Amino acid sequence: MWSGTISFSLVAIPVQLVKAVKPGRISFRTLHSKDYSPLARRMFCPKQEKIVPPDEIVRGYEIGPDRYIPITDEELESVSPERSRTIEIVEFIDMKEVDPIYYDHPYYLVPLKGGEKAYRLLAEVLRRTNRAGLARFVLAEREYLVAVKSTEGALTLITLHYSEEVLTADGIAPKEGKVAAKEIKRMEKSIKSMMAGFDPGKYADERREKVMNLLKHKMKEQALVEAPAVEEEEGEGPPDLVAALEKIMHDVKKSR
Amino acid sequence: MSRKVVEVAGKRLSLSNLEKDLYPSYGFTKAHVLEYYSRIAEFIMPHLKDRALTLKRYPDGVEKEFFFEKRCPSHHPAWVKTAEVRRDEGEQMTVCLANDPETLLWVANLASLELHVPLARTSSPETPDAMVFDLDPGEKANILDCARVALILRELLSRLHLSSYPKTSGQKGLHVFVPLNCQEATFEDTKKFSKAVAVIMQKNYPDLVTAKMAKELRTEKVFINWSQNDASKTMICVYSLRAREKPFVSFPLEWRQLEQLAGQGDPERLQVIYSEAVSRAEKMGDLFREVLLKKQKLPHL
Repeated sequence: MWSGTISFSLVAIPVQLVKAVKPGRISFRTLHSKDYSPLARRMFCPKQEKIVPPDEIVRGYEIGPDRYIPITDEELESVSPERSRTIEIVEFIDMKEVDPIYYDHPYYLVPLKGGEKAYRLLAEVLRRTNRAGLARFVLAEREYLVAVKSTEGALTLITLHYSEEVLTADGIAPKEGKVAAKEIKRMEKSIKSMMAGFDPGKYADERREKVMNLLKHKMKEQALVEAPAVEEEEGEGPPDLVAALEKIMHDVKKSR
Repeated sequence: MSRKVVEVAGKRLSLSNLEKDLYPSYGFTKAHVLEYYSRIAEFIMPHLKDRALTLKRYPDGVEKEFFFEKRCPSHHPAWVKTAEVRRDEGEQMTVCLANDPETLLWVANLASLELHVPLARTSSPETPDAMVFDLDPGEKANILDCARVALILRELLSRLHLSSYPKTSGQKGLHVFVPLNCQEATFEDTKKFSKAVAVIMQKNYPDLVTAKMAKELRTEKVFINWSQNDASKTMICVYSLRAREKPFVSFPLEWRQLEQLAGQGDPERLQVIYSEAVSRAEKMGDLFREVLLKKQKLPHL
């Protein structure tokens, strides 16, 4: 995982980046229904009707039906940004101005040795001012726009979408029709009656829980299946090896 | 939650939940686990070095749920060495290498009681350093039956000019290792060879041995699991703790011990508990040293 420094003006804080969310999706292996062998994905060429080995696979950018620009890993690498060792904050923005639509992926920043004091200071000031540091930063061959903000005393880093990735809301909101003041009042009232503080703990992924309970139940019932051992070839093995082993085995048995 | 920050070789390590009892029916806490691994470190380290480590974690102790972790946890400290390996599906995966005692303790602190490693190093994933016979007793068989099978195997192998080294699995079985260390034989070779041996053994000792996986076929027999000779499989590392009621260890044995015990009635006598593991290792040295050093070739028959 990435480690380096957050910096701006004369401040430099050594930190390490760790994931802040763990997707709760339950994943399953695909098995062959006949004998429960786990299945593997292979790249298939529909034209030749055969499986294509990895060394025959290249990338192509599709420019039209059946027209591609082939591109090699080396070419892609030549335009990849250099790995950065610093998160250089260039501006401090008001987090309220950033619509959540821009939020991509959250991480925690963990202070490394010697950085604890400056880390606490930055987290505290960002919390008080509700500001976030905006920076550009390279992670896994991609350059991201990121916001460094404070969450419960810790510094978090959120990768943001670039503006060109965000689709505009143009044409989504209906233009026609006026809204009556009376209707606005009425809806405001009904919303007010349903207001609450945000407590994410109140909600859980119910399907996930149900699936996990189902799996636990099946486990207790021993409703398990075992994949057969992979048998490369039927039979005992190469005939000369088997013959030699037979002979030695005979001697072993005699001597025991 | 108790937390204790220690410094090992200049690296900071935050240890947590030290008082948590991970072996409740025996009474063996996280602190004991950490102490065991720090005392056994000099013996286990060479066997973990440069191998993709699979963690088997028991966050709530051996009686509760566990999970395997093949990928190196993303929150690992910056000083933990990692390697990229390719899985069956061609997908890349970052794995931990327990190449220093600090990493061993970090891993132990994650309640990874069991340390599993492949038979090959990450730098040469296709060529195993050893061939293994994993002797797994059926429900009505025990470790003494495994010892009988192991002694026959040893004799068979020695007539092929191959030295072999046994260890307890720390559970019910025994593992017989045949060092290779020549970077020559592939997993395909070792699998073919070990399978042929297993089939011959089954043929000649049908009441004692089976070479088939199916459990119902082997309640009174010892299954010679040759299919462990595979790039995608891992074995419990020698000197690793096992997650059973008692903190038993996968521990190397001398053939002499097996000869003495194979005929006698108490299977428990072959099991090695953590404290005995430390004192025996300190007294005898690493009995599994040759598994890493001895160069042997599979005979081209």
